[in-house]
Amino acid sequence: MSEEIRADVLVLGGGPGGYVAAIRAGQLGLDTILVEADRPGGTCLLRGCIPSKALIHVAAKFAGMEHAAREPALGIGLSGPPTIDLAATMLWKDGIVDRLSGGVTALLKRAKVRVIRGWGTMRDGKTCEVAEADGSTTTVRAGSVVLATGSEPAALPSLPFGPKILSSTEILSLRERPRRLAVVGAGYIGLELGTVFARLGTQVTVIEAADTILPGFDAELAAPVARWLEAAGVTLHLGTKASGFRETEEGVTLALARGDGSVEELTADLVLVAAGRRPRIGGWGLDGLPIDRDGPFVRVDETCRTSMTGVYAIGDLVGEPLLAHKASAQGEMVAEVIAGRRRRFAPAAIPAICFTEPEIVSVGLSPAEAAARGLKTKVGRFPFAANGRALTLEGGRDGGFVRILANAADHRVIGVQAVGTHISELSAAFVTAIEMGAVLDDVAATIQAHPTLGEAFHEAALAALGHAIHA
Amino acid sequence: MSAYDLVVIGTGPGGYVCAIRAAQLGLKTAVIEKRATHGGTCLNVGCIPSKALLHASELFADARDHFGHLGIEVGTPKIDVAKMMAFKDEGVSGNTKGVEFLLKKNKIDAIHGTARIAAPGQIEVKSEDGSNQVIEAKAIVIATGSVVAPLRGVETDGKVVVTSDEAIALPAVPKKLVVVGAGVIGLELGSVWRRLGAEVTVVEFLDRILPGMDAEVAKQFQRILGKQGFAFKLGTKVTKVETEGGAAKVTIEPAQGEGEAQILEADTVLVATGRIPYTEGLGLDRIGVKLDERGRIETDAHFATNVTGIYAIGDVIAGPMLAHKAEDEGVAVAEMLAGKAGHVNYDVIPSIVYTNPEVAAVGKTEEELKAAGTAYAIGKFPFTANGRAKANGTTDGFVKVLADAATDRVLGVHIVGPHAGDLIAEAAIAMEFGASSEDIARTCHAHPTLAEAVKEAALAVDKRAIHM
Repeated sequence: MSEEIRADVLVLGGGPGGYVAAIRAGQLGLDTILVEADRPGGTCLLRGCIPSKALIHVAAKFAGMEHAAREPALGIGLSGPPTIDLAATMLWKDGIVDRLSGGVTALLKRAKVRVIRGWGTMRDGKTCEVAEADGSTTTVRAGSVVLATGSEPAALPSLPFGPKILSSTEILSLRERPRRLAVVGAGYIGLELGTVFARLGTQVTVIEAADTILPGFDAELAAPVARWLEAAGVTLHLGTKASGFRETEEGVTLALARGDGSVEELTADLVLVAAGRRPRIGGWGLDGLPIDRDGPFVRVDETCRTSMTGVYAIGDLVGEPLLAHKASAQGEMVAEVIAGRRRRFAPAAIPAICFTEPEIVSVGLSPAEAAARGLKTKVGRFPFAANGRALTLEGGRDGGFVRILANAADHRVIGVQAVGTHISELSAAFVTAIEMGAVLDDVAATIQAHPTLGEAFHEAALAALGHAIHA
Repeated sequence: MSAYDLVVIGTGPGGYVCAIRAAQLGLKTAVIEKRATHGGTCLNVGCIPSKALLHASELFADARDHFGHLGIEVGTPKIDVAKMMAFKDEGVSGNTKGVEFLLKKNKIDAIHGTARIAAPGQIEVKSEDGSNQVIEAKAIVIATGSVVAPLRGVETDGKVVVTSDEAIALPAVPKKLVVVGAGVIGLELGSVWRRLGAEVTVVEFLDRILPGMDAEVAKQFQRILGKQGFAFKLGTKVTKVETEGGAAKVTIEPAQGEGEAQILEADTVLVATGRIPYTEGLGLDRIGVKLDERGRIETDAHFATNVTGIYAIGDVIAGPMLAHKAEDEGVAVAEMLAGKAGHVNYDVIPSIVYTNPEVAAVGKTEEELKAAGTAYAIGKFPFTANGRAKANGTTDGFVKVLADAATDRVLGVHIVGPHAGDLIAEAAIAMEFGASSEDIARTCHAHPTLAEAVKEAALAVDKRAIHM
């Protein structure tokens, strides 16, 4: 059975880019259809940010209890070490994902967006054929199309995904804690999930081809995380490739090839391959459309227009950074562009957070990036060890700090980074300052409440000006 | 005896920050402190020790109440109050030693003793050993802070009827705790002992909690505390507290009108009805420094008192009794004394209640805007619709943005919810720039963070929240 329906806007993909675009289009009175094969929410909500943060939360609480049981410095006494029932944890996590996905469904409904659940294939720049689960096909024709198909975990040729070689998707649903876990890739996904299992008592080994962890963040920011991993008993093999594997009774044995040509074996119960993500460009008809590419990505202009009239693309599909909030911001904007508003995607800064222990936040330029652009800068740093709030939260001993970077000539703030326990929520203050065009003196003159972690931001600006108070 | 450019009396957050800034600017500076350690109320018996206890007690309550459904098994946790206090003391001593180090590093002379201003430019310091010295200063900054306000008709004994000074150091968890006063201090310390198992009843004269904060936030917050087992007696006054054999009987009556008296039994009574400026022994009346009707030192826009060469900052003058307000005033007065232009923006001073969830605010409340006749638009967003809050299992509360109805300028941001104290920093920065709610709404907020709720509340001002 086949049916043909029409709409003003068709959004292909129901992740944080697509569903936000659809809701905003609906709010603006556009007749909108969202095509999605799964429940709405995309990678982020169903098998990415949200489930990982739920597990990170549980693992942090668990670690806090282990600490309390071992060394009851806070006065909390336990009769024995805590234990984890991972199946129960996963049920809790699944409940959160269910509620959030259900929430998105309700939001789409309220915005009068029609959702068609099925696999969409673009036939031309205005037509999408949707194969639904019951075998029926719906053809959607729309005046404007928003491509929001997202990304998928990149597989390594040497380590094809299988029952014991997992991507982030599968590891977020493990029912039992592995005794030994090998993580291939020391980017933020590998380290966030590696940290979860290390905290739950798994013996974790991280293998990374590059010579540093967290290639997206500079060495100064990554150093406290590396120190934490070492203290937590995580083994790091840097400059090392997982060149092959064989499954054994015990699990999986990886061949680790070092830069110097030596090879060593490592056996683990499970392997997590977290070697990055790549845009999802196959399987939905992109190849049949005359749309320009930009490397593996779809090329778009600053209003997210592709080279094909009436076809827009957003999110992970159109390039770095592959972050949900960038996709949402583009989705919101593209809906407004389609509705005839004058908008462009030109944020002064897009924050990035790594939810490791300690957490890392980066907004704007790092010192190295500024140097590469030939900018003369002033840098101010302030350690959380000198921040009262950090000490009361048992932070401050992890080598964390806030770093602010400004143009030397006019003091305009061009970058703010921080690493430390519980600091992810400071990202909004950093990005707001940059969006407002703050100079160092502005940040220095803004009163931060005491005692808060945000005081370190204030002090870092003072430090850049040469007169921190608490350092 | 060499004369100083500046002598600061009191090394709380206002005083020591003032001294450090002055020294940075080249002024020869000394501080006088009565306590053995620096840091004032905030570091010794206020913000810092209470936050340490709030942190530890929250972990304990988590372990007892909230871990089962996360899949974490811990048995029944036990509390060791002495060890918890040791953790707190460690935090306090780390902080006060830090101040001592900073004073030294900035070459500030720290004199221990009680100060009396003999004349403009002259301070007598009486040390604990009874010795006296006279110190000369071109400028004097009074930063002597505040002390707990007494409650008429109620004597504190430091054991059964206590102030916050002792409530941060109780030797054991009281079975029944009566807190008099539903302000920040009462609710924070009430929370600590509630989490550790005390039955807590809060008695408040007004018919609401957190006087001065946004009423809607306070109402929601009261509901949340109620769920945590707090009992409230609002619109109620304490007329008598009798102690006998280590326990107390607290007599309460309706604050207004007639009504029957009632007796609450308690092991500990915490009197937390506010704080008053502390100027005792400074000799202000003798040298003619003017106080206002509430005992606060009167100052002009440059923190100068009516006596030339004498300045005052912090809790001892008008304005909110907050450490960060005192610090900012300390920096401003130091800069002015060094010939620079110091300034404090009193419209953008954030305040935080460190309960669970936290409460935080900056700018005007709805009640203040109504009273001023300002037309405003409201945007609200609940944490139940925020992904990070869901992932952390902390969905109580909401963000409320108040913006000028005509210009969209943000006039106030009020938050009750997880990490509200961290989230308020963004709002303060935006307000310092005179941001509109659209500015906040158009700023890319990281996902998944609680801060996305601030953005959504800003979107809601224009009735276009995405996730609601």
